[in-house]
Amino acid sequence: MADPVERMTNVLTLLLETRVPLTLVEIADRLAGQYPDAETARRTAFERDKAVLRSEGVPIEQVVLTGRQAGQTGYWVDRERYELGDFGLTDEERNALQLAVATVQLGTDWGEQAIWKLGGGLGAGRRDLEASLPSSPSLPVLFQAVSDRAIAAFGYRGRKRALEPYSLLAQNGLWYLVGRDREHDEVRVYRVDRIEGTVDAGEPGAFERPVDFDARALVPADFKGRGFGEGEAEAEWASVWVSDVRAGGVVRELGDGAVEERRDDGSVVVRVPCSNPLAFRHWMLELLDEAEILGPSSVRAVFVAYLGELVGGR
Amino acid sequence: MASRKAPKTAHERFRRLLVMLPWIMERGEVPVAEVAERFGMSEEAVIADLERASMCGLPPFEPGDLIDLYIDDGVVYTGPPKFFTRPLRLTAPEGFALLVAGRTALQLPGADPEGPLARGLSKLADRLGAAGLEVQMARPGFADPVAAAVEERAELQIGYWSAGREVLSERVIDPLAVFTDRGYWYVLADDHLSGEERTFRIDRIESVERTGGSFAGRDVTPPTGTSWFSDADLPRVTLRISPSARWITERYPIDSVTPVDPAAPRDLADIVLPVASEAWLARLLVRAGTGVEVVEPAEWRDLARSTADRVLRRYSSAG
Repeated sequence: MADPVERMTNVLTLLLETRVPLTLVEIADRLAGQYPDAETARRTAFERDKAVLRSEGVPIEQVVLTGRQAGQTGYWVDRERYELGDFGLTDEERNALQLAVATVQLGTDWGEQAIWKLGGGLGAGRRDLEASLPSSPSLPVLFQAVSDRAIAAFGYRGRKRALEPYSLLAQNGLWYLVGRDREHDEVRVYRVDRIEGTVDAGEPGAFERPVDFDARALVPADFKGRGFGEGEAEAEWASVWVSDVRAGGVVRELGDGAVEERRDDGSVVVRVPCSNPLAFRHWMLELLDEAEILGPSSVRAVFVAYLGELVGGR
Repeated sequence: MASRKAPKTAHERFRRLLVMLPWIMERGEVPVAEVAERFGMSEEAVIADLERASMCGLPPFEPGDLIDLYIDDGVVYTGPPKFFTRPLRLTAPEGFALLVAGRTALQLPGADPEGPLARGLSKLADRLGAAGLEVQMARPGFADPVAAAVEERAELQIGYWSAGREVLSERVIDPLAVFTDRGYWYVLADDHLSGEERTFRIDRIESVERTGGSFAGRDVTPPTGTSWFSDADLPRVTLRISPSARWITERYPIDSVTPVDPAAPRDLADIVLPVASEAWLARLLVRAGTGVEVVEPAEWRDLARSTADRVLRRYSSAG
């Protein structure tokens, strides 16, 4: 049996060059000696090659034949669909993309592979500026489902979801999927890192994406909001005193518009959204005793009760 | 920079071959060393894979049916291109990575929103169906001046809030690189105060001023992924967490997770994680609330209670 790289190269060449669909028997015949003779082993080896080719993006077409070969499957590769289209990139544009790929870390070699296909190479990128984004095998599947307008099915918090995915959004280091949940018929936000298991995408063109859909309006622009998940932020605000030591950083984070009062000792009182109780509590606890909730009294009471439980509870 | 792993499995070698062949054919003649350098392989591996490819083609595999290339004296030569003249189309992961990298880079300090990157991206976006893909990276106010100082090698004086030690310090730094990871922005710098290379979180910088001094740049590798703060030298803590505190495992680098009852892996678990400082752990514990308990070391078992008590005292005295 031939080396697998050699055999895959030959199969691909054959499927690209053939003018008629070829059956497995014909493929094995023409590549005499490269596939096992025994039918089951031959089928297994071919299926494996086919899977590798498809995972590389080779569009292997197939059709069930009629006539003399009735019932058998014929395979071929359409050269038009196989070949990289011409994006019309200038050298300058390609170099800029290449630099972007070298600068942004996704933890995979997908970008590098893409640059190679575009005819670029990866020389030394800048080493003094770099960004990392988390990646996961679900992301390309979700991206494809969004661009194909295909239903995405996945597990989330122990339940199966079927979603019309409108948008895939990376915001401040987290990936969100936004779309219409079919069961509940409402637009929802999901965190991609909390998707359980694999994502299945359905047939393309299954729905229409609303014109001017803006995912950013739905994913709360989180201030340290790692606790935000789903959930609508209703306008609710707390007044928080922050000591002089932390005032500078907090005002920069929230903006000058959030300052309600500047005190002589350098401390400030700021207005902070508290609609999401968990995110708000986490934010307060980052400041520990350098901050204090002044009001509303209900919000203050909840926070005091939470701390009281920690003090008394053990 | 992207990883440059040499292909190992048959699948990886095949994938690399499919990008190598069109590139070589377009040129007609390329030194082996250049191919090796470009595709992250050893020269021996390039020669082996290309020699094998030169025996591939169409049945009946007569000389005229084969991929027409040969290697002579360290140079690859190709005949009239027959097969694999164009690269394979982009896969979904490749298209995705290209768009994400481009859109992210457009939001880094100093990016030109109308430059070649933006133009190249818009050409790709039309073809790759990118309407539903968005990248948003808010950055702290001091990211831009710090990044500019990196580029111009300008020495900086910064006020820095050290969350680990709960102090505000003034220090002079030589900023070497700016990087962002999981939504946070950092500057890697030579720190004059400690005489060491240090990483500072930019959102904890309270003030930035140029001293007027400059420094000789040097090549650094910004740490990426989660590995960089899971320092082997840091002390460890073992926490027993309930499902309500599971988020800790998503957010922080942890050494291990062990279910207390193997039959119920989603219930209580013991996790071991590095502790950047006691103050850091104190914050983590009060946030996790009653969903977490320190197993060891014993000296931290009371940390959540004492921290909560400290915060609570502010409410009793002031209110």
